[in-house]
Amino acid sequence: MTLKYIITQLVTLAIVGGIMGLVAWVKIPRATPPLDEAEVKRRLAEDFPQTPLDQIWLALDGRGAVARSGDLALLLFRLGDSYVSRSMAWSQALQAEAIKGRFCFKFNDFAAPKASLALAPNWAKAAMGETI
Amino acid sequence: MAAPTVPAIDPVTLAVPFFILAIVLEILLARFGKVKAVYEAKDTATSLLMGFGSGIAGLLTGGVVFAASVWVYNYRLFDIPMSAAWAWLAIFLLEDLTYYWFHRLSHERRFWWAAHVNHHTSQHYNLATALRQTWTGGAAGTWALWLPLSLLGFPPAMIAIQKGISLVFQFWIHTEAVRRLPVWVEALFNTPSHHRVHHARNPRYLDSNYAGILIIWDRMFGTFVPELDEEPCRYGVVKNLGDFNIFRVAFHEWVGIFSDLLTAKSLREALGYLFGAPGWSPDGSRQTSTMLKAQWAEMQTAEPVKTDPAAAS
Repeated sequence: MTLKYIITQLVTLAIVGGIMGLVAWVKIPRATPPLDEAEVKRRLAEDFPQTPLDQIWLALDGRGAVARSGDLALLLFRLGDSYVSRSMAWSQALQAEAIKGRFCFKFNDFAAPKASLALAPNWAKAAMGETI
Repeated sequence: MAAPTVPAIDPVTLAVPFFILAIVLEILLARFGKVKAVYEAKDTATSLLMGFGSGIAGLLTGGVVFAASVWVYNYRLFDIPMSAAWAWLAIFLLEDLTYYWFHRLSHERRFWWAAHVNHHTSQHYNLATALRQTWTGGAAGTWALWLPLSLLGFPPAMIAIQKGISLVFQFWIHTEAVRRLPVWVEALFNTPSHHRVHHARNPRYLDSNYAGILIIWDRMFGTFVPELDEEPCRYGVVKNLGDFNIFRVAFHEWVGIFSDLLTAKSLREALGYLFGAPGWSPDGSRQTSTMLKAQWAEMQTAEPVKTDPAAAS
């Protein structure tokens, strides 16, 4: 490995840092207003077409939601200025642990290991009381 | 005199200042509302760091690729001169055709998709996304698709230069700032519009527009899909990643393949997990692009989407 190569890599990293700084400074991400039910339905319909939703629980900060579709829980959670969705067994979703006011949903998926949602503390209790 | 094996120029290295300036320009023009472009800080950082890592990964496998090209060239069928104009026209067309099939293979077979998927993991489409390059492409061996060009007699240096030209061309089409180009350009070349479709995860747009420089290959082989104004592209992969970890971006599909192989009950299942379409599963419980498109088409039949034929032409 030559000194020239190392210097080139360091300069490249410095440029990468500069561009990252510029992006952080100019602030041109997508607008991300808090989710409402209609938006959750629209987004989940894109990722889970032909999957009827029984009930939706919005995160208190509007950055995600849990929806029930029969035996399935459909989760929508914010990543940067975008959203990611995953599904899991409904029974498993009800067992999500609350840590510092956020429920942690763990997926058996290396591509998206977990989602953390600020749901109402009693959401699971309320969900279990729901009649399908 | 022997034809050169090492290229005298590297188009990609020469283009790096242009890449940087173009990204900065796109960001600034978007900031002042002059063009359409969306940049999110962590997403951009991921793209740029993937590009940085790709350079290092390429260095590790570059020697093998180069040695293989030279070895095959030693058995060449013809002596093709680098100084002839016709030879450059031929390499332009043949390299671009090779790229089309490389790219199609990289989308339609999971082993190679695992190496290529990282390029599609951003939910944004901007010039920084272009730099979200593979770390495992060399290991996946798709470079072997270019070896027949060496066997034909194109000097390895000539092939390397043309591959570099193709890569540089493909940088600028990763933008939402350019809407449509003149009809003849859109008919002949891969453009921002065509490539937006390629990066889209809408079922209508999946597995389409594999072109490098010329879009004619997609038109010839039936994989061309035009961008429709009434159906904006949603970027990313069918199942988007849950965070910005660059190692997850680089390796998630490989981990997925490995996990699936551990559960395979037969050689057929193992081969399906490795070389089947992305999303293949023995019981059909997962969805491939073909299945997603069929489901989408079925929904359109039930509830047709209003489309403007003029916009599709």
